[in-house]
Amino acid sequence: MRIAVGAAGVFLIGVGLFFLLPLPGLLGVVVWFAGAIALHDVLIGPIVLVTGLLVARLPDRAVVRGALITMGGLVLITIPALLRPGPSPNPTVLVQDYPRNLLICLAAVAVVAVVLVLLRRRR
Amino acid sequence: MNPTLPQFRGRLHDARTAVAIGRWLGSAVVVCFLTGLISHVLQHPPGWMTGLLPVRPAWGYRLTQGLHVASGLAAIVLVMAKLWAVYPRLFTWPAFRSLPHLVERLSIALLVAATVFELFTGLINILQWYPWPFSFTQTHYAVAWIVAGSLLLHLAVKAPLIRENWRKKKADVDAADRRALLAGVGAAVGAVTLTTVGQSLSALRGFDLLAPRSPDVATQGMPINRTAAAAQVTYASSEGWALEVAGPKPYRITLAELEALPQRRVRLPIACVEGWSADAWWSGVPIRDLLARAGAPPGTAVRVESLEVWGYYRVMEMPAQYADDPSTLLALRLNDEVLSLDHGYPARIIAPNRPGVLQTKWVSRLEAV
Ligand code: HEM
Repeated sequence: MRIAVGAAGVFLIGVGLFFLLPLPGLLGVVVWFAGAIALHDVLIGPIVLVTGLLVARLPDRAVVRGALITMGGLVLITIPALLRPGPSPNPTVLVQDYPRNLLICLAAVAVVAVVLVLLRRRR
Repeated sequence: MNPTLPQFRGRLHDARTAVAIGRWLGSAVVVCFLTGLISHVLQHPPGWMTGLLPVRPAWGYRLTQGLHVASGLAAIVLVMAKLWAVYPRLFTWPAFRSLPHLVERLSIALLVAATVFELFTGLINILQWYPWPFSFTQTHYAVAWIVAGSLLLHLAVKAPLIRENWRKKKADVDAADRRALLAGVGAAVGAVTLTTVGQSLSALRGFDLLAPRSPDVATQGMPINRTAAAAQVTYASSEGWALEVAGPKPYRITLAELEALPQRRVRLPIACVEGWSADAWWSGVPIRDLLARAGAPPGTAVRVESLEVWGYYRVMEMPAQYADDPSTLLALRLNDEVLSLDHGYPARIIAPNRPGVLQTKWVSRLEAV
């Protein structure tokens, strides 16, 4: 069973390479693959770990950590919208005020976190 | 252990957390892979599948592609949590102990690279931003297989650890802390979903604060993917326009004549490959009526050509079952207004359960095939 699953995995990777290798711009794909690993291993990873270490000492760490993870997720999926250069391709793409909306969302998370901490202390 | 490398004492960086987050991430990736394959097949069916593509439910692609982008966005959060849990293992020393260990680490490198690549390019693509030198769709498709394959390989390699985690329910000294961590990750997934899914799920439109689209921001009640300007179509290019219909009895028909034919009004969604979708009222002439006038019997597929000068989708093939469906229209009106140029004036296709890119705009020619 284990071997069969592993073999199926190798087969699907082969299928992927079969589709991938003939494509133009292959070098770019390799660079983006390497970039994906590098971005995580040397940038996101350390930031998250150091934040985790700092939070570890806090009294309400369960809630604070949950709030930070939530904020991190929201920021992560919005970063491209904040950074995208050039005009929007048409008036119905990128229609929102992303910096403002992101701040609203982050503030909402903070409020929920504070309420949770207060509730837990009351108990 | 090499003393210069960091040492990790955080106890949640363990197999138990990795398995717990892994099963959520794995589920999200599987949903992405399957819905992605559906999207691929609807656009590029292998020959034997062409006749099997389902016309109903009309909202099928709306659901699957909405799910694709929603589960993909959830996976972005989950992959970060997963990588956090296993990050210390990056510093395993010696870097490899044996050949199997080396192969295991290489397979994980492939899994991480392919998954992060897939998620990241997907996320940027839905903003219609293409900062790379390769074709998004083709590369995203190929890498999807690598993600699926390296995930299976990963599960096979880690099977003993996963099984152990499910089998003996060892007392977990960190239970409370771990539960809080997982609740935090769950909250993050919930927040990301809530603030973006409104671009396809109308009921949550009010919470759509961060998605690239907000289907309320629209012209004639419908957002636009490709503008007339991008397709280099102007009102001048449709001057003197007459639709050409090729078949056993070919004919040309002007806009005024089309408007004089019996019209049908249907409610169908545009479901974009980029994940957003919206419903609208469309009116126009059923494609099957136009084909019948050309002497083509029911069960005829049709090739549709657009006035646009250039585009991957300038020529579109429509399998017979879609052409036969009475709600598949050559639409002239959108929400009871004459189509604007950006929505495909003078005439466009609308059909149930097809990706938006196949709802050809600025139609110039139909050909029974
Ligand atoms: C590991 C996760 C993912 C897998 C396995 C996956 C897989 C796929 C596959 C197989 C397709 C069909 C490609 C084709 O038509 O040939 C597809 C299409 C697509 N995916 Fe993903 N995907 C993933 C994540 C994402 C994410 C995170 C996003 C965006 C947030 C995304 C956005 C898209 C878009 C926009 C398309 C349509 C492309 C087009 O037809 O033009 N995907 N995906």
